[in-house]
Amino acid sequence: MNTITSMKSLKELSERTKKDNQKYSKIVTLCAGTGCQASGCSSIITSLHEELKHKGLTEKIKIRTTGCHGFCEQGPLMVIEPENIFYSFVKPKDIPEIVSETLSKDKIIERLLYTDATSGKKITYERDISFYKSQNRTVLEQNKLIDPCNINDYIAQGGYSALVKVLTKMSPEEIIQEIKESGLRGRGGGGFPTGKKWEYCRNAEGSPKYVICNADEGDPGAYMDRSVLEGNPHAVIEGMLIGAFAIGAKHGYIYVRNEYPLAVKHSKIAIQQAEELGLLGKNIFGTNFSFDIKIVRGGGAFICGESTALMASLEGKVGEPRPKDIHTTDKGFNDLPSNLNNVETWANVPFIIKNGASWFASKGTAKSKGTKIFALTGQIKNTGLIEVPMGTSLRKIIYDIGGGSATGKRIKAVQTGGPSGGCLPEELFDLPVDFEALAEAGSMVGSGGMVVMDESTCMVDVAKYFLKFLLDESCGKCVPCRVGLSRMLEIIDDITKGKGTEEKMELLKETAETVSIASLCALGKTAPNPILSTIKYFQSEYEAHIKDKRCPAGVCRELIHYSIDEDKCTGCGSCLKACPHGAISGEKKKSYRIDDDQCEKCGICKEVCKFNAITIS
Amino acid sequence: MNEYVTLTINGSKVKTPQGTSVLDAALSYGICIPHLCHMPGISPIGACRLCIVEVVKNGKSKVTTSCTLEVEEGMVILAHTERILKARKNIAEMLVAEAPNSRAIQDIALRCGVKEVRYPFRNKDCVLCGRCVRICAETWQSKSLGFVGRGSERHVALPFDKRPEFCKQCNDCINVCPMTITPCPGPMKKGEEFFCGLCESQLSMAENIVDTCVDCRLGEGFNCLRAKNK
Repeated sequence: MNTITSMKSLKELSERTKKDNQKYSKIVTLCAGTGCQASGCSSIITSLHEELKHKGLTEKIKIRTTGCHGFCEQGPLMVIEPENIFYSFVKPKDIPEIVSETLSKDKIIERLLYTDATSGKKITYERDISFYKSQNRTVLEQNKLIDPCNINDYIAQGGYSALVKVLTKMSPEEIIQEIKESGLRGRGGGGFPTGKKWEYCRNAEGSPKYVICNADEGDPGAYMDRSVLEGNPHAVIEGMLIGAFAIGAKHGYIYVRNEYPLAVKHSKIAIQQAEELGLLGKNIFGTNFSFDIKIVRGGGAFICGESTALMASLEGKVGEPRPKDIHTTDKGFNDLPSNLNNVETWANVPFIIKNGASWFASKGTAKSKGTKIFALTGQIKNTGLIEVPMGTSLRKIIYDIGGGSATGKRIKAVQTGGPSGGCLPEELFDLPVDFEALAEAGSMVGSGGMVVMDESTCMVDVAKYFLKFLLDESCGKCVPCRVGLSRMLEIIDDITKGKGTEEKMELLKETAETVSIASLCALGKTAPNPILSTIKYFQSEYEAHIKDKRCPAGVCRELIHYSIDEDKCTGCGSCLKACPHGAISGEKKKSYRIDDDQCEKCGICKEVCKFNAITIS
Repeated sequence: MNEYVTLTINGSKVKTPQGTSVLDAALSYGICIPHLCHMPGISPIGACRLCIVEVVKNGKSKVTTSCTLEVEEGMVILAHTERILKARKNIAEMLVAEAPNSRAIQDIALRCGVKEVRYPFRNKDCVLCGRCVRICAETWQSKSLGFVGRGSERHVALPFDKRPEFCKQCNDCINVCPMTITPCPGPMKKGEEFFCGLCESQLSMAENIVDTCVDCRLGEGFNCLRAKNK
């Protein structure tokens, strides 16, 4: 392959790829992101290939396997271009029909269409789906247009033109100025202004300098970094190249967790392809700028997403944070100036350079600019990855994009920012999602996880769950985080068991404050957020647990009792068969009873009862 | 080259050689900042978090440990604000609940104003201050001890739980351990732990003037710089 040395040759390659694609009458885009793979898309890809071969259509129809489209809940997904027909829940047995009807005769298969979660109508085209319509996608938009294993696809979408622009027309200072003006802030959770960080690193003494991509995403439920790295690795690489040029770095690292095999694979392929085209390596684009990227796989510790712990891990040491009195931009990896940014931050950089700082700054709020990817999960109809401008209200995200409650029960809270974020109640759903507004409300944007919870969720139990996660993931180096979190868990565990007292509640609050003030790193500093925010907004639930020894949501096992409603029970006996603890007794066709001493409160009887006769009190 | 820098700690001007930590500077001026994991001459790790202070910069204050913070010209340090004192007292309370069988920790808790321990005692043998690990690695270049495990499983151990050949048998790991001196009332059995507080009279002066070292003798147990120099 010839290396690219001028804007002209890059454009030529782009045109050539576009022309190649025009040969096909249809392009079938199949999502092969992790979500759709879990739903079984790989067998669909194989059967589609076979079917096209069988029908002799390989010359006319192109299959493009792409990264995550975002609407993971409906997966496996298929989009047929140029019509933009959207098929969901595709199964291998549907493939012959899709080929013979839709691909050959332009006939739409009704049953594969997406049914709108609110109106119940069938929707034919992807662009008309409210989940997509209400979003404003930049980084995620490219995912479905690109085969991540094919650099030409990325170049055809204008890829690497930002790199060419900075190498030929811009000075490092101009790039930093551009990023500063755009108002881009760290997408990994800290929200530190990216341009400022680059400037610090550029001005720091020491050589060589490093740029690092943080792909050690570990929040339960969050997978945007994974999807970007899997679906569009070249955007990350291009962003790193631009950053390295601006900072004066010669070497780069992608620190990605080993649990993301597809991300590791795709970034490896991407690096190799970029090297082959001369876009990475020595004398890039024929200039004297040289830069290489290595992939380092993390061992799976949540704490290694923290910048100093990540760099320690990169050095081969134990992944523990160190005090940040000296910033990593001065002394980071190997005690040399290092600039660490998150996957999503890097992926945004080429777009800013291409479209200009003012384009990026036109979206978002006064202090938080641009768009942000969120992982929308929980008890809502449409789950998946969404990208919206900063400042979009939680209500819009939950109801317009998410389609509202999936269970029909009232949505009572949303947990934002991963395990160390906070739970926000429905009264605050009009809050704009930006760094400041969420922090003020006691939560944070974090990496962008959003877990929606309905009335069947006990907030004390939720706080306990996240606390337990963080205690498990704490490195144990400093006292407030290691001991403080275990003490907090001790107290909250007592509360869920009906052993809580008001004095202990005060102690819980005091400990939480100490942990947030005195901990060494951001894990400890933010760890009390789930506790503090639930105490703030759901005080009544804590009171019910402590004073009345009652769990209003019926979740905390020690505080609930299962019983059978005699009027509703028909004596069918399915609960008797289902109960694994032998706690149910009675005769057929007569009402059954639950023995409280033997009941383990597993809830299986409630699940099997068709007559809603089992009640929780 | 400017070898000395001047900074302010709790409003007092302090002049100290460049490269000193804020904690050492404060201690040498008789400003009492309780500490446990810090040892003079050994690199700081910032693990116990007792020596937290507020650094005021551009009108904003940031909490950090004074042992890891190097002095800078014109630095403004507040070591005993209400916020800091409250957090420090709480950390000391956690520590004494973890390991009541240490005079050093009992002393620190008293010095930090702990009056009662609200957490159930755990009576552990180690609070992971890392003094032994660091003195072994740094003073003796031996690295016979290290931290093993993460989070609640973290503990100090010998390589493969065996005393290695390169252990110099200096016993410094024992000498610097805050757990080796038992509290004055004697060893405490499981279930019978209590907060000692016998030396409270030592603090009659210090209670009103928290930031001043009153040579309280309490520091001896945990190698307080002042107590050692006496």
